[in-house]
Order: sequence, then structure tokens, then C-alpha cells
Amino acid sequence: MTTNGGAMFTKTLYDNRRIFTVWALATGLLALMYAAFYPQVSADAMASVPESMSGFGLDDTSTAAGYLQGPVFGLLVPLLATFYGAATGARTISADEESGYLDLLLAHPIGRARLLLQRFAALAAGALLIGGAVLAAMLAVRDGADLGSVGAGGFAAQTLNLTLLALLFGALATGLGAATGLTRATVFGVTAGLGVAVFALNGFAPQIGAGGLRYLTPFHYYIGGEPLKNGVQVADAAVLAAASAVLIAAGTWRFVRRDLGR
Amino acid sequence: MHTAIELTELTKSYGSRRGLDGLSLQVRAGEVFGYLGPNGAGKSTTIRLLLDLIRPTSGSARVLGLDPRADAARLHRRTGYLAGDFVVDGRRRAGECLAFLARLRGGVPAHRITGLAARLDVDLDARIKSLSKGNRQKVGLIQAFMHEPELLILDEPTSGLDPLVQQTFLDMVGEARDNGQTVFMSSHILSEVEAVTDRVAIIREGALVALDTVDALRARSSLRVRVTFAAPVPAGEFAALPGVQHVSADGDTLTCTVDGSPDALVKAAAQYTVTGLHADTQDLEELFQAYYTGPRAA
Repeated sequence: MTTNGGAMFTKTLYDNRRIFTVWALATGLLALMYAAFYPQVSADAMASVPESMSGFGLDDTSTAAGYLQGPVFGLLVPLLATFYGAATGARTISADEESGYLDLLLAHPIGRARLLLQRFAALAAGALLIGGAVLAAMLAVRDGADLGSVGAGGFAAQTLNLTLLALLFGALATGLGAATGLTRATVFGVTAGLGVAVFALNGFAPQIGAGGLRYLTPFHYYIGGEPLKNGVQVADAAVLAAASAVLIAAGTWRFVRRDLGR
Repeated sequence: MHTAIELTELTKSYGSRRGLDGLSLQVRAGEVFGYLGPNGAGKSTTIRLLLDLIRPTSGSARVLGLDPRADAARLHRRTGYLAGDFVVDGRRRAGECLAFLARLRGGVPAHRITGLAARLDVDLDARIKSLSKGNRQKVGLIQAFMHEPELLILDEPTSGLDPLVQQTFLDMVGEARDNGQTVFMSSHILSEVEAVTDRVAIIREGALVALDTVDALRARSSLRVRVTFAAPVPAGEFAALPGVQHVSADGDTLTCTVDGSPDALVKAAAQYTVTGLHADTQDLEELFQAYYTGPRAA
């Protein structure tokens, strides 16, 4: 019996080679630029950050790790990872179901679960590429920008969590589209909107006296354990990975059972 | 195996709306089966059930002896499918799309693709989105036929094809049958499929209204007769004759329809002086229109 192996995975990766590269390069370059500002910022001291914003980690510029946890790993890069996951995950199932292409693909000898998992694996490869690009950018700029106090292990741990964060929102968008058959635009909007909302929740929760709510947001597990200082936080990374697995499993469970829309 | 497709009381409801309503029919292995009905009759619903894209509310379907859901991947390896509005990734080249779909099937000899492309005059280097609807549909034909599947499931396959290509398509269907393949194709126009189909089913509002050979359906069509006499005749006398219906008399002219042999009518008319006789068969398309629009049988 002939098999199609990983045809759907390689095709998805090939079709997305440019867009994944652009995501990784753009995220890496932006991270690099902002990280390179550290010498100036540490000299000026960012006294201008309002008290209410302290939960976003923008107030500690006395150390390299503190600064990086602010604008770079606390704001810019995780939001980009969130949007990458939302945009790419919305294309896993929703886009092709909306156009009707999914009918043709699933009339071929590839099961629904297999199609979904192979496409999600391509999304994961794109997330890894983003994490890798950011890590490479950090290591490249580390010495020149006075960031030497953060070890390579710290950068690796934080970019691992970044990859897992992108994966989580990718899993949310993929699972949402797979389970419901909503349009691509809706799946993207809901996922990205939810991402921004929980990001804000994570930042504001301590100020509004609801610090416990942080534990409900993925951003807490992404950066709360301060991997730049403390290295890999196994439990936090496991929470992110497990949440992705649950979302994909639930989406797949529903996807193989429901009617496909046209 | 002598049955390619067997539908048993197949029902699909969309909320309160019925897509299919207890449809039962059998498609024999090796035949070209026309699946006809007006738009919205449930043709695409049936086909999407056969492909496991949607699931029945009740009843069952067996395709090539397999369960469309439990054996989906195994079944899809042995079938080819074409939708009326063939959709693929528009940014890719036609050849790229076909090569990928072939890989999903575990490989198809390249000469099958190039051979069909040459026959249908498809430019494999063209991007899908740059192709006209007809040319895109030709790409769809190639992917459905390229692996020589045991069963071809074609949903309105001729939509958008120009007449010349339609003929090539009908030739391909005929060759598939000669090759032992089964073809299940839907259409809302009988004349498009009449030339190649062995049997046709007509569905309406999700239910079967007729299933027979085209010839048998034609034989079912009645004769329309108009007789003029030298003097007015009693219409009641003719209305009682076997097979004679819709009798109306207008002065010395009598019109009626006749199912089966016109012998009784001719002999009855011969008792009077006949000055004119006109008879023609009901057009087959008209017969289909009658199935589409007349009172629902059964």
C-alpha cells in the first residue's frame, strides 16, 4: 500500500517558506534593534514609566535582564509571536474550508486528523524559526550592547518560551477553526483579540489587586519565571506546551466528527 | 463486487431543512451513472456524504463495499473526485498543484498528468488564479482521472467547459467505463450526460423520483396526438381507450396523449372520417421537466 508520508507537512512548509522567513527575520531584527538600545536606556534610566504600567516589566532598567524583560521580551516579541500564531493558525483549517479547497484535500487519502497535525507541525516549524532568529539576534548583539550579564542559557530559555507562546496561539487558532468552521478572519480576530486581552490582563492584574489572575494567562508562564535570569523554567514551559496539546487535541476531536462547511 | 455505491434510506437534515430524505439506490460496478436533479435537489449533499465530508443524519452509504467514514483514507485512494467549482490553491502553478495532489495519493506516474494535460490542452506552467473557469475545471478533471481510480465521483463536471472540451470529457468517461471504472456523475442538464450514461437517477427535494436507463425513460415518454375529423366526434369515447390521456375535443379536432401502443386510438379514430393526423414524441428534456416540476411521485 502506498502512503503519502509527510506530504502535507512538507507542502505546507514549502508554501509558507517566504512568509515564515519574513516573520522570523522581522521578529529577530526588531528584537535586535530594541536590545541594541540598552546602553542608552540604562544611562537615561526610564523614570518616565507610569506606576500603573509596572506589571509590564518596563520599570527595571538597572540590569540587562530587567531591560530585556521590558520592551523586548515583555512587549514586542511576545505580541509578534501571538500574531504569528493567530495568523498562521487561522490558515490551518479555516482558510481552506472557507474557499472549498479543504473538500478536495480531504477527498484524497489523508485523514482529517493527519491533515491537521501535519499542518500544525509546519506552524510549529515556523515558530521554531522565530525563536531561533530571536536567539541568534540576541547572541549577536549581546556583547556590543552591554547585555553580557545575561547568559546564553538565559536567552535560550526565554526564546524557548517564546516559541511555545507562538505555538500556543497557533494551537488556539487552529483548534478554534477546526472545531467550529468559523471563517479565517473571525478565527484570526478572536485569537489575536484574546491574545492582546490576556496580555493586558497579565500586565495590569497586579495593579488592580488581582495578581492571581496572572496564572490564567500564558504570558505569565512565558516570562513570569524570568528565564533570562533563571534559565529554563521546566514547569512553566510544560504548562505552555500542555495547553497547546489540549487545544490541538480538542480541535482535532471535534474536527473529525463535524460536517465540513461550504 | 457488483455494487459500487449502495445508499440505504440515506437522510441528511440541516436543522429543519431536509437535504436528503430517505434516499435508497444502487450503482453497479462498471456503469456510468447519471445523477440528475434541479439545483438544490440534494445532488452535492449526496456526493459530500459519499466522500465523508459530511455525515448522514440517518441511513447509510457503502462505497466500493466500504464505509465512507471508517474506511475514508482507504476509500479515497480508490476514488477520484471533482467538484463543479473546482478550487485549489490559486497562487500555485497547475503542475505544482497536480504534483502535490499526486503525492497525497502516494504518487502517480508523471506521464498520466502530462498526457491528460496535453489532451485537454492545459498549460501546466500557468498559475491557477490566471486560468479561466473552464481551464481550472480541466485541471480538476486531470486530478480526478490521473490515478485511474475504480470509482469517479463527479459533481457537475461539465460546468464551465466549452462544447469541444465537453466532448473530450465524455470520451474520457467512455474510456473509463471501457477500462472497468465506475462513474457517478451529477448534472442538472440531461443532454450533458445522456450520451454516456448507462442509467440515470432523478432526484427532487432529496428523494428519488426515477431510476432507469435513458432508453427506458424515453420509452416512458408519451406520444402527443392531434387528429382532425370531417365532423365533430364524442371525446368521451376516446378518453376510455387504454393508454389515452389528456383528451380534449375542439370542434372537429381531438388532441390527446398516448402511453404505449397507439393501436386502440388508431382503430377508434378509423370509425370516423379522418382528415388529418399529427403525432410526435414528447421531448426527453420535457419529460425531465415533468419529473422536476410535476407532483412528487411515491
